[in-house]
Amino acid sequence: MRICGRLLKVVVCILLILGFCGCWDSRELNKLAIVMGMGIDRGDDPGTLQFTAQVINVGEIRTAGENGGGGGQGKGYVNFEDTGNTVFSTIRDITNQSSRKLYFAHNQILIFGRSVAEEGVTKYLDFFLRDPETRLNVYILVAQDSARDVLNVESNIENIPAQNIKSMVEEESAFTSQTIAVRLYEFKDSLLVKTKAAVAPIVEISQGSDGNISKINGTAVFKGDKLVGTLNKTEGRGLLWVLGKVKSGIIEARTPQGSLVSMETVRADGKFSSEITDDGKVKVTISIREEGNLGEQEGPENLSDLSEVAYLEQQKNNVIKSEVMAAIRKAQELDADVFGFGESIHHKYPKEWAAMEDNWDELFQQIEVEVKVDAKLRLTGRISVPAVPE
Amino acid sequence: MFRYILKKLRFYELLKQDEKQQTEAEQTSKTSKTSQTAQTAQTAQPPLSKSLEENLKALQDVAESNDFVIRRFVFGKRIHAAIVYIDGLIDKELVNENVLKPLMRINLLDNSELPPSIDIDYVKDAMLFVGDIEAQSAFDEVIGKILSGDTAFLMDGSDKAMLISLKGWKMRGIDEPQTESVVRGPREGFTETLRINTSMIRRKIKNTDLKFETVKIGQRTKTDVCIVYIKGLAKSELIEEIRQRLGRIKTDAILESGYIEQYIEDAPFSIFSTVANSEKPDKVAAKLLEGRAAILVDGSPFVLTVPMVFLESFQSAEDYYSRPFFSSEIRILRFVAFFISILAPALYVAMSAFHQELIPTPLLLSMASAHEGIPFPAVAEAAIMLYFLEILREAGVRLPRPIGQAVSIVGALVIGQAAVSAGLIGAPMVIVIAITAVSSFTVPAQTDSESIIRIALLILAGFLGGFGIAIGLLVVLIHLASLRSFGTPYLMPLAPFSRSGMKDAFTRAPLWDMIRRPRGMAQDDIRQDRSSKPSPPKDDEEKPKGTVSEGSL
Repeated sequence: MRICGRLLKVVVCILLILGFCGCWDSRELNKLAIVMGMGIDRGDDPGTLQFTAQVINVGEIRTAGENGGGGGQGKGYVNFEDTGNTVFSTIRDITNQSSRKLYFAHNQILIFGRSVAEEGVTKYLDFFLRDPETRLNVYILVAQDSARDVLNVESNIENIPAQNIKSMVEEESAFTSQTIAVRLYEFKDSLLVKTKAAVAPIVEISQGSDGNISKINGTAVFKGDKLVGTLNKTEGRGLLWVLGKVKSGIIEARTPQGSLVSMETVRADGKFSSEITDDGKVKVTISIREEGNLGEQEGPENLSDLSEVAYLEQQKNNVIKSEVMAAIRKAQELDADVFGFGESIHHKYPKEWAAMEDNWDELFQQIEVEVKVDAKLRLTGRISVPAVPE
Repeated sequence: MFRYILKKLRFYELLKQDEKQQTEAEQTSKTSKTSQTAQTAQTAQPPLSKSLEENLKALQDVAESNDFVIRRFVFGKRIHAAIVYIDGLIDKELVNENVLKPLMRINLLDNSELPPSIDIDYVKDAMLFVGDIEAQSAFDEVIGKILSGDTAFLMDGSDKAMLISLKGWKMRGIDEPQTESVVRGPREGFTETLRINTSMIRRKIKNTDLKFETVKIGQRTKTDVCIVYIKGLAKSELIEEIRQRLGRIKTDAILESGYIEQYIEDAPFSIFSTVANSEKPDKVAAKLLEGRAAILVDGSPFVLTVPMVFLESFQSAEDYYSRPFFSSEIRILRFVAFFISILAPALYVAMSAFHQELIPTPLLLSMASAHEGIPFPAVAEAAIMLYFLEILREAGVRLPRPIGQAVSIVGALVIGQAAVSAGLIGAPMVIVIAITAVSSFTVPAQTDSESIIRIALLILAGFLGGFGIAIGLLVVLIHLASLRSFGTPYLMPLAPFSRSGMKDAFTRAPLWDMIRRPRGMAQDDIRQDRSSKPSPPKDDEEKPKGTVSEGSL
């Protein structure tokens, strides 16, 4: 009897532990509808939303794999759509169409249609921040038009459109650095700061050689939680230079003789410091360090000469500076502090900030900017002089 | 959880141990009345009589069996004598040549040449050409010795028998052990004959401190069990404890060292063995030199060594014979394989049924597509395959070797392949089970416990997912930490932690660096001098750097 009592205690202790471990359950893989992408658009009725969930069609993926990946008979994905008043209720309503419950842990992207972006996105974000199954590292995008259409554009390479868009965002920010890749937690952080403007890449549908293709083009700028405008590619890279997020990219410049040269950025770093000048204005000093290699040249000049290198470095300086200035001008035009200059003032001058916060919009317009660029040209690639010299 | 129950039971048993032993002893005596009478007869120790005929009759009465041979003869023309032996246990040629021949030849001598008086001591001292000879007057001792292969010499008018040890029977030669084969290192393995086994250990350790102590265990089988230790290294408390535990065994048969293991182990209800065994003399010698003791059992090539620690299972003799770098890599690999072998199916089930968010997306997609259309939940799938694996292994071991191979081919290829293409089992699951199976063979000493832990963890993972695995592993860990083997904590040198012990745990330090023996194991901790590190000779005079001295070329 004594062992029975002790055993019972042990078993009860173990069972009690189970109550502490939150919300989990056994779900077999073939009972899951794995969501890869989600889109939110405005519904037809006022005040409603249309939700699109891109779910993997596991069976089709398998046939593609077994036949050696020959495109498959069917699509590798299914898009479920429903309309409703709130995100959560709409998602649950999709259960009516789907034999499996939606599973969000592997969701890659969240696309806001232009209509909801202009209206304000805060009310839709709450579910994605609160629900334990969704992840904070999904990429946020804004569709040029409707998110639903973007999720319906098939890719020729990837099986799943959402996967395709996610890869494009990642590749784009890694190799051209013309728009910023924003994850949900970063987007949320920007929204939390009153003076900072959130940004997100724009995905659009354009005409390809083989039907419609989706394409990353430009950066959406939010004021508060509403879409107010866009940055083009140049301005987008200007923003990334300031934030120090440029990873790679091509800079075009002209030689003294006038032929075009493209230079690849391999390392870049940018930071800014802000101060309040004596006359009460805000001065921001942006310092950017960049290192790159010569990637291509049109003309026959020998660019490996030190004086030519110095000249090209100067050209790069100018290009970077002009991109940064373009971004700042556009931001001032939209009246949106995408860089977070205000926040840096807040950190540095917490007392003064209290008075400045309310009229930051005006201050931002009059901001004094100094851009210091230190660009270096390191290598000339496999050849140093052009293949056909003068 | 199951382990925990067992542990609790074990404590309970320990409390009641004394009562149990008593009842056990009673039961044995009840079940075998004959053994009881034999026991009482033994304690009485009737002496031999002076009459040869009476003695022979008494022997004949006791040992009524047709392999029991009595050869009467006369020597010195007047003295009646006999040799008694068991046919098949003695070397007949040697007995003829060295016992019968010298005795009966003196019949050819003249009377004057005969020694004036012949008593049995004279026979032993002057007439028998045998080294190992012993006088004995107790009847049961004589019978016992005859049964273990001695030849008894009895003569009229003497109440003593000479026990002549000229044993010889057909036995297996010294082979390479099947269970512990090595690439580098001695290939000899123990045999079924105790004396040969002791000689193999003696040949490794030529030291008078190496002691053998034999006791007979088993009321019917009278099996020789031999405790081996190095005096001055092994702790005297350890040897005393072994003697006591062996002395407590009251059973009628010991047929293999596994019997002894089960009678003397510390934790009879644990799935972990607390007594190690080996077939290799070099390994046993190494353990003796660490201060452990070995137990040899006649009739078994498996030699027990105590105390055993958990990490011993991961050590192989070859680790010490090859250089430390590769040995260390292999050690780590064994640990990895051990964890794969207990965890792989459980982790796969937990991840695929509970924690899909932990799987990288591309992997999840291929797992999901492989699981599409499989009729079983993942845990059932894994359990079916695991059981099938155990069946295959068992079939492969028991069947004659050529058929065994056929079984593995049918099992692995036909069933594995067919189950996947029929859509009954997912291909990833077959891979997981295959990895598990292969990994489980890398730590032979723990194969039994691995198999049980694996299935327990799988069931826990099936019900509770990752939490189940965590609970299961914790219970195993707590249980391991609670175990002791002959006074040594089972998790030495991890818990209690010993820095010098870590030199021979997950990796192996160079031999010259392992200055101490395992902590607390031996009486004397220091194994060697600190100066054993090899180094090239140092030149007295300084040479300019970068030039090679002629002497070294």
